[in-house]
Amino acid sequence: MENPIVKAENYNSYFGDNHVVKDVNISINKNEVIAVMGPSGCGKTTFLRGINRMHELIPGATSKGKILLDGQNVYDLNAIYVRAKIGMVFQRPNPFPNLSIYENVVAGYLLNGIKVSKADKDVIVEKSLTSAALWKEVKDSLHKKGTFLSGGQQQRLCIARAIAMQPELILFDEPTSALDPISTSSVEALFHELKANYTLIIVTHNMQQAARVSDRTAFFYMGELVEFDDTKQMFTAPKDQRTQNYITGRFS
Amino acid sequence: MTPLENEINAVKKELVDMWILVQSQLNKAKEAMIQFDKDLAREVLIKEKRVNSFELKIDRDCENIFALHCPVAIDLRFLLAALKINTNLERIGDIAAGVALYVVESSVNFDKDTLEKTQLIRMYEEAVNILMDTRTAFEKEDTVLARSIFKRDDVLDAINDASPNTVADVIRADINTLPEALYILSIIRKLERVGDQSKNIAEEIIFYVEAKILKHLESSKK
Amino acid sequence: MEAKIGARNVKSVIFKGLVVFFAFIIVVPLVVILLYIAKQGATQVNWHFLTHVPAPVGEKGGGISNAFVGSFIMVMLASIVAVPVGMMAGIYLSENPRTKLAYYAGLCVDILQGVPSIVVGIVVYFWIVKPLGTFSAIAGSIALAIMMLPIIIRSTEQTLKLLPDSLKEAALSLGVPYHRVILKVIVPCGFAGILSGITLSIARIIGETAPLLFTALGNSFFSTSLTKPMESLPHVIFTYATSPYDDWHDLAWGASFILLLFVLTLNIVTKVITRKWKIQL
Repeated sequence: MENPIVKAENYNSYFGDNHVVKDVNISINKNEVIAVMGPSGCGKTTFLRGINRMHELIPGATSKGKILLDGQNVYDLNAIYVRAKIGMVFQRPNPFPNLSIYENVVAGYLLNGIKVSKADKDVIVEKSLTSAALWKEVKDSLHKKGTFLSGGQQQRLCIARAIAMQPELILFDEPTSALDPISTSSVEALFHELKANYTLIIVTHNMQQAARVSDRTAFFYMGELVEFDDTKQMFTAPKDQRTQNYITGRFS
Repeated sequence: MTPLENEINAVKKELVDMWILVQSQLNKAKEAMIQFDKDLAREVLIKEKRVNSFELKIDRDCENIFALHCPVAIDLRFLLAALKINTNLERIGDIAAGVALYVVESSVNFDKDTLEKTQLIRMYEEAVNILMDTRTAFEKEDTVLARSIFKRDDVLDAINDASPNTVADVIRADINTLPEALYILSIIRKLERVGDQSKNIAEEIIFYVEAKILKHLESSKK
Repeated sequence: MEAKIGARNVKSVIFKGLVVFFAFIIVVPLVVILLYIAKQGATQVNWHFLTHVPAPVGEKGGGISNAFVGSFIMVMLASIVAVPVGMMAGIYLSENPRTKLAYYAGLCVDILQGVPSIVVGIVVYFWIVKPLGTFSAIAGSIALAIMMLPIIIRSTEQTLKLLPDSLKEAALSLGVPYHRVILKVIVPCGFAGILSGITLSIARIIGETAPLLFTALGNSFFSTSLTKPMESLPHVIFTYATSPYDDWHDLAWGASFILLLFVLTLNIVTKVITRKWKIQL
């Protein structure tokens, strides 16, 4: 069912003169889980960060082309608005160390000075932590700082923080690279549950993860979008030789 | 339940559905043979397409699980066994269709006495039972039941070994029974292969449950 | 081979011994100074001492109230000027380390740190005392502020540089505007480091005499006016210690003791606050 939420049209990214993402055209539908994979330096993270305009925060970084979110070009909108509308989870879990778990979840509201009543905040915290499969584990220590949590729990806290802003789209930049296998499975299980209410785009350098969690997979190589197809098709009979070489490990 | 577990259970269910279909095909072909019911036989021939499409789907589903989940240990053994059981069931389906084809093509009624003298009916019933028991063994992961299949296949082998003589006797008694006798001999050969396929299935079940490989061992050692 | 190892072990023990020995040697002079000042000055300190201005020569009694209050006022004023400016500059330097401005500003900060305090005093004399026509507390505060700046700037910059980028990224990705990211995430997380930089700079300037010589001068009377000369603790110590009167020597010891106490308290308070507020990154 075609229902695009994000569309890239002739999107290019540069670091200075370095052409890092080359002419990407892709259309992603609502409530899909999309994996973006490729070897190191292929532009997948740069492309991801172009979607919520985090790319331009790096000095010397520019881009051309359009990225449409629900039909509107994010480069025509206010960057801060775009970033508030799109959630992002990073490679290293990064909860705010000066805030408690409770405050971390509603950090998007706190730091922006958005006034929310205590009752509403309580609801948001419980809902977000439940969606991130963390509520039971922390509900008795909401006012402690999050530093005693394990890596997987901290990452789920970051996911809860992103969800609390009620985005439609959540971007994940190698979210389990820094986690051990058990924490990784707990986060992967979360993707299946989140799919019902959100659209997820997950950059991963672990192609087995891409195979396990996604509906469609995009393969980037040297800045180009080489192939974008159903995950089942991609991993049983990819259409491009480069894709096949990558997933069979014929080159790194 | 993880997505992988869900998909493996889906394959199990599909396999069981195919099993039920093949069992029914075998039974119907038997009834068609005994009653010489050509309509029933044609039904079997038509349903054979369903058996084939089951085989294709199960193959594809196993391939997808391999590609997407890289299963290991019992999941891996199960899928490897499932692929082979899939093929075995499809061949049994073919055999049932073959018997049905004979019924459709034959102009001669199979005589009840002849069927008894050659032990064809007994052999058929045993084959049907063996197939049913392989399915039970699969569903319940019962390797004791699976091991019992090997001995029971010996019964089918014995009847098959005796068949040249028993059929020759029938022909000697009345030369006019020659076409019928030839069909009967063919069906006996086919049923012996049903026994072999069922034995293979039993070996695969033991492989996936216990990780023991019993292929190519003599019956006495299993 | 074994003989060599034996020799090495001996050398190792000697080295360790030397290191410990020198550590003790350092402590000794410090402790001696502290105890001596305490001994000389503690007896001077009483309520009278703290609430009265120095008595004229020959009269008994007198105190350091004007110096005490004067130091306090000038340090406060200097902090009010130097802390915001220093923090902002430190934030700029940590956020934009590769710009030309950052390079030259950093260079200037380092040079400023090395400028002798008396030179700072002379400069402020020409900038403020001469135009205003009078020595004043303001001039003194400005001189002190100039001396505080390099320390605050560098410690703020170093503290913030140590914070991981991921912290900023997390806040930015939530749609938080840049100024709030700095004010509500980065600075609070670096609070311990920044605070210790500030207290370090205060401890530095509280004992500075030279810059005050040409700016705030000194005042035998009690004054809180910012546009008039103001007395300060280091200045009274200098004045009275070098005077020929024993009474005044005693005052100097008392003032030294107070100064010491103040710096000690500042350091202890900083350590306590830092430990309590330390953000585990």
